[in-house]
Amino acid sequence: MKYYKALEKTVSILIIAVILIAAVAAVIWYTTQQQVPEASPSPTTIIKTETQVQTQTQVQTETQTTIVEKMFIRFAGWSAGETEMKNYQRIISLFEQTNPNIAVKYEVITQMFHENILASYGAGVAPDVFYLDTSWAPIFIDKGALYPISDLVSQDFINQFYDFLLEPFKGPDDKLYGLPKDWSMLMLFYNKKLFEQAGLSSPPDTWDELVRYAEIIANKTGKPGLAIYLGGFNRYMPVALSNGASKPWFDDPSDASWFDNPVVKDTMAWYINLYKEGKIERENKGLTPYAVAPQDVGAGWLGDAFGKQEVAMVISGNWMIPFLADQYPDFKFGEDWDIAPVPRGSQGRVTMVYTVALAINAKTEHPDAATKFVEFVLGPEGQKELVVKMGHTLPSVRSLANDPDMWPQHKKSLLFQYDQYQIFLWGPKTGELESKISDVMASAMRGEIGIDEALEAMKQVVQQVLSE
Amino acid sequence: MSKSRVFSLHTSLSLRKILERRKSREALEALLLISVATGLNIVFGYFAAFFAFYLSFFKWDYISPMEFVGLRNYQIIFNDLWKGINGAYYFLAPFYTGLKNILLYTAIVVPTQTILAMILAAFANQKIRGVQFYKVSYFLPAVTSPVIIALIFIWLFMKNGFINYMIQMIVPSFAPDWINDRNYLLYAISMVAIWGTSGHFMVSFLAAMQSISRDVYEAAMLDGAGPIRRFIYITVPLLKPMIVYVVVLGMIGALQMFDLAWVMAGSNGGPGGAGYTMALDIYNEAFINLRPGVAAAKSMFLFVLIFTSTYIFQKKYKVMRQ
Repeated sequence: MKYYKALEKTVSILIIAVILIAAVAAVIWYTTQQQVPEASPSPTTIIKTETQVQTQTQVQTETQTTIVEKMFIRFAGWSAGETEMKNYQRIISLFEQTNPNIAVKYEVITQMFHENILASYGAGVAPDVFYLDTSWAPIFIDKGALYPISDLVSQDFINQFYDFLLEPFKGPDDKLYGLPKDWSMLMLFYNKKLFEQAGLSSPPDTWDELVRYAEIIANKTGKPGLAIYLGGFNRYMPVALSNGASKPWFDDPSDASWFDNPVVKDTMAWYINLYKEGKIERENKGLTPYAVAPQDVGAGWLGDAFGKQEVAMVISGNWMIPFLADQYPDFKFGEDWDIAPVPRGSQGRVTMVYTVALAINAKTEHPDAATKFVEFVLGPEGQKELVVKMGHTLPSVRSLANDPDMWPQHKKSLLFQYDQYQIFLWGPKTGELESKISDVMASAMRGEIGIDEALEAMKQVVQQVLSE
Repeated sequence: MSKSRVFSLHTSLSLRKILERRKSREALEALLLISVATGLNIVFGYFAAFFAFYLSFFKWDYISPMEFVGLRNYQIIFNDLWKGINGAYYFLAPFYTGLKNILLYTAIVVPTQTILAMILAAFANQKIRGVQFYKVSYFLPAVTSPVIIALIFIWLFMKNGFINYMIQMIVPSFAPDWINDRNYLLYAISMVAIWGTSGHFMVSFLAAMQSISRDVYEAAMLDGAGPIRRFIYITVPLLKPMIVYVVVLGMIGALQMFDLAWVMAGSNGGPGGAGYTMALDIYNEAFINLRPGVAAAKSMFLFVLIFTSTYIFQKKYKVMRQ
């Protein structure tokens, strides 16, 4: 009993102590919040408090003679692995050495990056500099969330970039709201050994050849010639554009008429039939399919299917190159596999381009510091370290195209000639449209709905998404 | 009045005082003890719920200021349902698709998992060798992450996977592509859910079974009732309060299923939208379509669905306490 009472007493004291501490902490927190002019927590408040702390420690630990007002900027990105993170950290410390009055806090958001950034705007704690994918750019530009970067950097700096990479980050006022950090484009990857076995000496040059070669390979080697995704509106796009379809732009419900274009109808039917005829009908006849989806050969994505040598051809982007080098080191570029341009259609050759920009938060307290950082990362020296040597993607500044450090595979992909580079951007609701149109395509490819029905459904999707 | 009586009155009064003081102290301590949990619940539970309700009347995109739109978000939901009822494609009526799928899923999962849990508990309640091992192995899925379970099952459900291998031993011509065929996807997800939750509810049933008096069984045995009759006529009726509890919890869990569908079907619900659920649609609405207001309205709809269905069920089958 005595023991129980003592215990009870201790527990009560502990609880009261915890609550008191919490209350004191809350009061302190509240008063520090009050010191900042704005009542709601915003990115500026955080920067401010950090600046104060830093100034104090500097005064204490360093010389005590000069007080440098240190500016803090927060930089958020996703990560393509540990190496990339380390490289960024190295570049950041290099930047901090050359700019001693600026400190950069690097924040890696691994999942659902743009959703997180949006949510942080909602909470008023968005980072100062962050990655921005083309498909999300119109959303951020429309809402006035970004600083017009063309007001901050010189025209000479902007002139270094490939023009077509700047297009998606232009606002309605013709100002630039982001600068591309790197880019990738689609190309044809082909397995030389399977081509040899099938008696083929060169990669297909036209879309018709692509199908013909895929069929020959399936018949001669017993392995599917081509792997494609079920759905994938952006992967279909080069077929449509290279056969003369107009560039799609979905901004208004009436833009759904893009699907009425006979070229779009024909090419969409052709693309859907790649799988319907190449997989489903071939299997029904008891033949090896010549076109499959990655999951049909036990692979997670195209790169995996190609690396496992389960298929002879895939059309994918530069991101597949480091993946193959890393995961399938015995499957060698040049000897076992090679790249070729995306096949051409009746009206020329078109590839898809994917790019990510660095954008600056419109509410940043330190636009100049943020600009300095962006210039450092995106300039030729920064991109040489972060892009060229990494070998994941292509540099967005033209001067690095012939850099001796660039991987030979990437270098080769830059030599391919295209009539048109189509950026992954279909309008203000690119993400939603891509996802829903791809769903319809997948449904048609599996044979759940007919091709005419699918085209009609795509129009309805565009109308519905843009009218709501 | 004798002296002793006055004394005893006095002592009893002071005793009562002490007791009362003790009671109020206990109450204070109790309040302190629950304050942390209550605080967390108010902020992350009630505040979030009320904010979602408030949000459901606004148009917002996370960046621009919120704009009051009245019942427009609810109108979007009913348009979607109306389109779905009139036979629109699943991708044009996503909310309807999610609702239809989740109702079918609940109808499959809840009764099956309840019956299975009861049968497992009946086995675990026997005095047989190694019963502890069975209890642990039944319960193991309940302490494993649903995402991990789903990933393992994707592998088992592959066209040339283990499950089809087993099925083909019995029915040689039957080898569905569980994950990639819209006719089987929801059943595959349901099977994983049943497997994952039965063990958890088994523990609830086991606890209830162990509180049933042995005398009742002994009396029944003397009257000549066999084990199956004893299970049907004694165990099941006496478990009724626990059955209600398990069904209600099962319904709440099933109607808001997200994780298994997300992993096994993908955020778009897989082939034919067969694995699309209301929770997935709420997520997509908030983070793909960037309409948190509509997402909030949809979650209010889901809340009303869960609340009314569980309320009606409880009201109908609640055991009157004497």
